[in-house]
Amino acid sequence: MDTKILVVDDDREIANALDKLLTMEGYEVVKAYNGLEALDALVQNDIQLILLDVMMPKLDGLSTTLKIREQKNIPIIILSAKSEDSDKILGLSMGADDYVTKPFNPDELIARVKSHLRRYITLGDVGNITQNAQITVGGLKLNKESKQLLVDGVPTRLTPTEYKILDFLLTNAGMVFSAEHIYEKVWEEPAYRVENTVMVHIRRIREKIEINPKEPKYLKVVWGIGYKIEKL
Amino acid sequence: MGTKLKNFSRNTITKFVAYLIVAIMISMAVIQLVQVDWEGNNIEPLFVETYEESNTFTYEVERSFREIYSNFKNNEETLIENENQIYYITDGKEIITNREGFNREDFINYSNYFYEYDQGRFKSNSRVNEKSTFWFGKDTTIYIAFKDGYMKEKQEDWNDANYILRDQAIEFSIYMVIAIILTIYLIIVTGKKPNKEELQTTWIDQLYSEILLALFILPIIAIFIYVVDNYYYYTHILRTPSIQKSDLYLVGIVTTICALLSEIGLLALIRKIKEGKFIKDFLLYTICWNTKDFVKSLFDGRRYAKYPLTKNLHQRQLAFIVGSGIFVLLTVMLIYTPLVILPPLLELVLIYWYVKYNNKTYDEINKGINESLEEQMKLERMKIELITNVSHDLKTPLTSIISYVDLLSKETDLSDAAKDYVKILDEKSERLKNIVSDLFDLAKSNSGDINLNLETIDMRMLVEQTLLDMADSIEDLGQIKMKFPDTPIEIVSDGNKLYRVIQNVLDNAFKYSLKGTRIFIEVEEKNGMGIVVIKNTSSYEIDFTVDEILQRFNRGDKARTADGSGLGLSIAESFTHVSGGIFKVDIDGDMFKVVISFPLARK
Repeated sequence: MDTKILVVDDDREIANALDKLLTMEGYEVVKAYNGLEALDALVQNDIQLILLDVMMPKLDGLSTTLKIREQKNIPIIILSAKSEDSDKILGLSMGADDYVTKPFNPDELIARVKSHLRRYITLGDVGNITQNAQITVGGLKLNKESKQLLVDGVPTRLTPTEYKILDFLLTNAGMVFSAEHIYEKVWEEPAYRVENTVMVHIRRIREKIEINPKEPKYLKVVWGIGYKIEKL
Repeated sequence: MGTKLKNFSRNTITKFVAYLIVAIMISMAVIQLVQVDWEGNNIEPLFVETYEESNTFTYEVERSFREIYSNFKNNEETLIENENQIYYITDGKEIITNREGFNREDFINYSNYFYEYDQGRFKSNSRVNEKSTFWFGKDTTIYIAFKDGYMKEKQEDWNDANYILRDQAIEFSIYMVIAIILTIYLIIVTGKKPNKEELQTTWIDQLYSEILLALFILPIIAIFIYVVDNYYYYTHILRTPSIQKSDLYLVGIVTTICALLSEIGLLALIRKIKEGKFIKDFLLYTICWNTKDFVKSLFDGRRYAKYPLTKNLHQRQLAFIVGSGIFVLLTVMLIYTPLVILPPLLELVLIYWYVKYNNKTYDEINKGINESLEEQMKLERMKIELITNVSHDLKTPLTSIISYVDLLSKETDLSDAAKDYVKILDEKSERLKNIVSDLFDLAKSNSGDINLNLETIDMRMLVEQTLLDMADSIEDLGQIKMKFPDTPIEIVSDGNKLYRVIQNVLDNAFKYSLKGTRIFIEVEEKNGMGIVVIKNTSSYEIDFTVDEILQRFNRGDKARTADGSGLGLSIAESFTHVSGGIFKVDIDGDMFKVVISFPLARK
């Protein structure tokens, strides 16, 4: 079965380019040029994922997101020229799953689309359910018994130290820890000048779990304070 | 030698000693005066050599004449018993004498000190003195002769007194001369310090000239009153012509204290004169000057002439003042007539007119201010909207360009040349993207419309994290020399912004460092500030100023071809400012130094 993606952008050239890019990846694309058209298209088609522009005539992207969320739980990726943190937070709080700023890197966008689809289609729509032996944050799923990490359903290998760090941060998702704190928890030794050691591992973990390690979605540096896993 | 003397004379201790000596000398001199004064001593012996020539003796003669005459007039039969003189008085009818049978010749022969009053004229055989001008009547004739022995005795007393007084006078003069010389010395050196030519002043010199004048004069008056007061006490109440020693000590202490105070005042005044502030520092002068200024400002409307509303206010104020003045004058002129009721009524009308039209003008001014405020806010809103719109309008086509370049690069049947072109397009569109993003960040930051997330962060950790985060793009980590403190440096700032600042500055340092040189990063705590210093040696000659480097798009010529937007340092500076820090660039030859400082967080 072809996966249908709805592309919504009032700029037809961008919509067309996205159409081409996604078609090349084997997806079927439905286009809409404003929020109202998008809502119509959603009714008429069996859509699995939406790419949604924010600044559009008639019904803007944020209102559209709200409307869609009244009925459907499909992944919504917002595309916007607004790059402020506050804009991103607003978009995500409206119910979007991801926020990509324009101009975007096409390869990265495709990777994100794939990641969200994998999670939505293969894993079903599960929220942040934390069972005893399993922690889930966004597309990350860590099984404590088998010591296995799934990133959007894909098994990912971790070294023992990386596993311990990720375990600790995932268990306390949303909380910020200093390098010293993490070191003492993971290595179980008194920490002295460990920023470098911890950061090296964090970077390696990022390369394994993030689509774009430069702009991490999960494992973030809180500048001048420490590190955290974003609570999604 | 000259400087040595100069320094010695300007030495504080030297001056202080001189200051003390002056006070002591003055009090000694006053004690000398007091001794003479309070004992009621006659000081004439000091100036007149012989008793015979002195005023004192003249008074004695006059007194004798008057006594004899009044005695005679009152018809008192009793003779004046006086062994020191013989006399004879007659009015042509009656005669009174204490030496019967003596005629004028006998009187002259009897003594060298013979005085006669005859037919309204006064005569004498001594060298003295025609000063007396008494009048006893035309017919009266008086002869008086003082005994030679008596006069001799008097002269000896006179000489003794002369010796004592001369000693006292000499002592007094010495004290006074020393006091005056030292005072002149103090006047010359006051306010001067060794090795310093400019005038030194203290808090006392800030006082008004009136106060200093009072400080100078009042102690002198106090001494004077004290001395005179005690003179009366001694000569008129006690009537004992000998002074208690304890009284002299008291005089000495009082005079010394007064002299010390007076000197302070005098020297402060002298310093004021030296500074040329003597007149200006009078309170009276200041009051006059301010009054003059105020009166001038009442009538001088030049300041307000440019603005019609304030001009109106000023003219109305002027009319009000002049009108009120005239009505007051009229009231005074008409005070005893029934018309006196008129000026107050007119004044009421004037007040009504004044208040009514002023209120109108105030309303107009308020309206103007509100309008201009609204205008300003509108402009501000427009500016922010413009930034957002321009940013959107730039980013939308750029998104298309990047997307289609990507699609183009995925075409398989392109020629090799076309593939090269696409690659260039890809690179340049990426750079354009960075420039637009930086430009937007800078514009937002400069317009002040920026969201800040201020929290307490560790500056040391932030710099470390930033460095580690950049580790990928740093070719040679050994190139960096770090100096970090052992304890965290807590500041309040926006971590994300500060990260961009440090990243941009480090980026700049890596990009433009001379090959083989080191980059120094220092984090330290100094004077309540957390400070990051980043130093590097430039790979090209720095031929621009600190101001130029921070101006947008300004870079050294060689760097123009490098990638990046050229806005890195501008953004770093702007972000540092909005998040509450200070951003400073130092250029020393080829050394490029950036100093970023934030106030420490309060614990």
